[in-house]
Amino acid sequence: MRSTLKTFVLTIGFLILLDGLVALLLQGPAPASLKGFFDYGASVPGKIAQMKQHPGAPGNLLAVAWLPDVIEESAVGFKAEASDEAPVMRVYGMSFAADIAHGAQTHRPDMLVDVHGGPNAPPNFSYEVFLEDRQNRKPGDVAVLGILSSTTAAMSSYSNRVWAFEQPAPYTYPVFWPEGADGLRADGPVLQSLSEEIALEAHPDLVAKWHRQLREKDGLYSESAFALPVLDASPFARLIRRALAVQSIKEKEQDINSGKGSDPYPYQEVLRRMVRDFSETARADQQIPVVLLIQTRNSQDPDLRQIFAEYLKANDIPFVATTDLQSIRDPSAFYGDGHYTGNTNKKFGQSLLDVIDREASRSVSMTRVPYSAVN
Amino acid sequence: MVFSQLDFWIFFSIVLALYVALPFRAQNWMLLIASYVFYAAWDWRFLFLIMLSTCTDYLIALKMERTETQSARRFWLSVSLWTNLSVLGIFKYFNFFIESFAMLSEKFGFPVSYHALHIVLPVGISFYTFQTLSYTIDVYRRDIRATTSLRDFALFVSFFPQLVAGPIERASHLLPEVSHPRRMTWDNVTRGVVLCLIGLIKKIVIADAISPTVDTIFAMPDPSGGVILIGTWLFAIQIYCDFSGYTDIARGVARIMGFNLMLNFAQPYFSVNPQDFWRRWHISLSTWLRDYLYVPLGGNRKGKRRTQINLMLTMVLGGLWHGAAWNFVLWGAYQGTLLVLHRQLVGKLGARTDKGFGGMFLHIIKIALFFQVTCYGWLLFRASSFEQITRFTKSLLTMRWSDFSDLGFINIPVPAFAGMAVILFVDVMIEVTGNPRFYEVWLRPARAACYSILVYTLAFGATTTPSAFIYFQF
Repeated sequence: MRSTLKTFVLTIGFLILLDGLVALLLQGPAPASLKGFFDYGASVPGKIAQMKQHPGAPGNLLAVAWLPDVIEESAVGFKAEASDEAPVMRVYGMSFAADIAHGAQTHRPDMLVDVHGGPNAPPNFSYEVFLEDRQNRKPGDVAVLGILSSTTAAMSSYSNRVWAFEQPAPYTYPVFWPEGADGLRADGPVLQSLSEEIALEAHPDLVAKWHRQLREKDGLYSESAFALPVLDASPFARLIRRALAVQSIKEKEQDINSGKGSDPYPYQEVLRRMVRDFSETARADQQIPVVLLIQTRNSQDPDLRQIFAEYLKANDIPFVATTDLQSIRDPSAFYGDGHYTGNTNKKFGQSLLDVIDREASRSVSMTRVPYSAVN
Repeated sequence: MVFSQLDFWIFFSIVLALYVALPFRAQNWMLLIASYVFYAAWDWRFLFLIMLSTCTDYLIALKMERTETQSARRFWLSVSLWTNLSVLGIFKYFNFFIESFAMLSEKFGFPVSYHALHIVLPVGISFYTFQTLSYTIDVYRRDIRATTSLRDFALFVSFFPQLVAGPIERASHLLPEVSHPRRMTWDNVTRGVVLCLIGLIKKIVIADAISPTVDTIFAMPDPSGGVILIGTWLFAIQIYCDFSGYTDIARGVARIMGFNLMLNFAQPYFSVNPQDFWRRWHISLSTWLRDYLYVPLGGNRKGKRRTQINLMLTMVLGGLWHGAAWNFVLWGAYQGTLLVLHRQLVGKLGARTDKGFGGMFLHIIKIALFFQVTCYGWLLFRASSFEQITRFTKSLLTMRWSDFSDLGFINIPVPAFAGMAVILFVDVMIEVTGNPRFYEVWLRPARAACYSILVYTLAFGATTTPSAFIYFQF
């Protein structure tokens, strides 16, 4: 036993030594990709503190997609648009949705596209922006709501910081719950703006309230992602945290997506109500609504087309499902980071235009959409 | 509950704490209950199958033991074989045979309608069925005595570390370990922990990291020959690390408690011919097939032609053991053909040993060449249809250099390479020294450094998305 104990203590010693060497290497000559790999495992408070310390660093996500800022920017842009401007395609979503809109633009370069999105934005963010942006659209515009298959479970969360562990964009959004026969109730986040986020440490009450909301109400909250930021100094601890946090969040997502676990968040029902309200609101404002069902290459994501297409058809809600046009099993359709390639987005864009044209031709008020085909 | 997830290690910690605290008999009761809990975590409904198999073979072995008449012993053996193989047949092969029969009838112009049963394949059924069958056959052959303890026999059948994916233990080896008090020593604990670490690196850091790329390649509608070649190499690494990783963890966990499970893999990719490969790959299955199928069929004792037939039959059935699908049959036939051809070649040319520097170089060339032969077998094994096998084979045969230009989508995480380096080092050291515990002769600081590197490598790659062990489906 004594011999084993000696070996054990020596192993721990070597582990600490190795960890110290790796920490030194990461501070010095290690390649940026390796540094990034280890940084992914830092705690969420640690990563946000880093973002605040280095606001100008490339890829800093601190200031992106805060709802009040998105709406303000939209209002400024809307005012700047000429009153006789052609209809605009206003996209609410994330990079995937923006890519498809720009893919459509390659077919019709004179078409104006206005994107309101956040990195990896879940549908609750996009829907909330759509609602708050109502005064910044005009009759004849096209409203596009992008739904990404990897973010369905995130509809139970208040912020990307909770579930996008490796790159936690801190922006926040409400969680929607079914209310009544077909309504929705928004449960807003305690933390609502970038200024509140920056001044957070100065308001311990707000910190406590915000963390309590995340702990008690956020469907994807994992203690392993937030606890003990002091351990961020150890690369080994970062690796362990990353494994635990990613695994824990993934399990929660799987429970929601599969409807298992105790009282899972009803994302399908909420999403149905969202798209119906989205469509009715847009049509009431004489706009063309289009829902984008965007499937990522991850085959474990819920199949959006299979789940929602029948409902969308039955409720006469125009949609484009990427799986109708492109198999997710074909790796040539994707870039290394998982986004669709330019050519694939052009294909999706053409389909989006076809849906818009069909919808425009159905409505008298829409016949004035002056898109000129450039082919 | 999977070895590569935290749930299992929490479960094992509880089991280990109880194991340390309890006396021998209570240990066995506790291990039996723990094994049933472990299995029930997959699907409690199939516990009754294990219990059925256990009770049947326990009683039959006692019956055989207590009778001297050969015909009566043969009768009881056939009851055991029928019971176990019927359960296996219904749960694993029923739909396969019905569908194959219907397909064949249709080809000959007699279409038949049939109803496939919606049967869930009980996890590990092939493993524990073979294990319990070996017991009754050994008792029938009088190689071992029947045990009178139902508890010990039930634990032998369901021992949780090796219940769902082997090694397929022999009663002559494991039952004495179950029936007698074990010694938990610090030496065993250290060896067990090292085995677990190596197994976890193989599974989590390598196999799980490679798995998405392999899935992508085998789901591609029309990949180039270069992509297929890389895909089969990666699958070869994946299946080795996945399966031998499971075995390492199983042996490690058992070793910590003082059990010594059999070696299941002995650096199989250092094989130079098919016979060598089957001495190194899934040893518990290949020796089972040899002892309970090939030898009873006559082995090599009944002439050249009959030996070839026996080899083919054994390997085809071995292929079918892996799964109820024709590609497994084809894989078995491929392995059988390789063995027959190799036997003929050795018969004509004689066995050669590679000596000296030139010999070593030649040996390495042989390893590299035979690895390609093995990889083509893995293509047959992994393919989802005959059509895919034909298409992929054509692409491989018409492969060009330009095929390697579209590999940009292959994304193997950096930790997987670190893991591969560690495992390659371990395998080379075992191969060169012939000692699986080569590190034990090192000085303590060197050993401690080695253990810390294993722990760090595991942490480095622990972020991959976990996937089920491949061999659970068999």
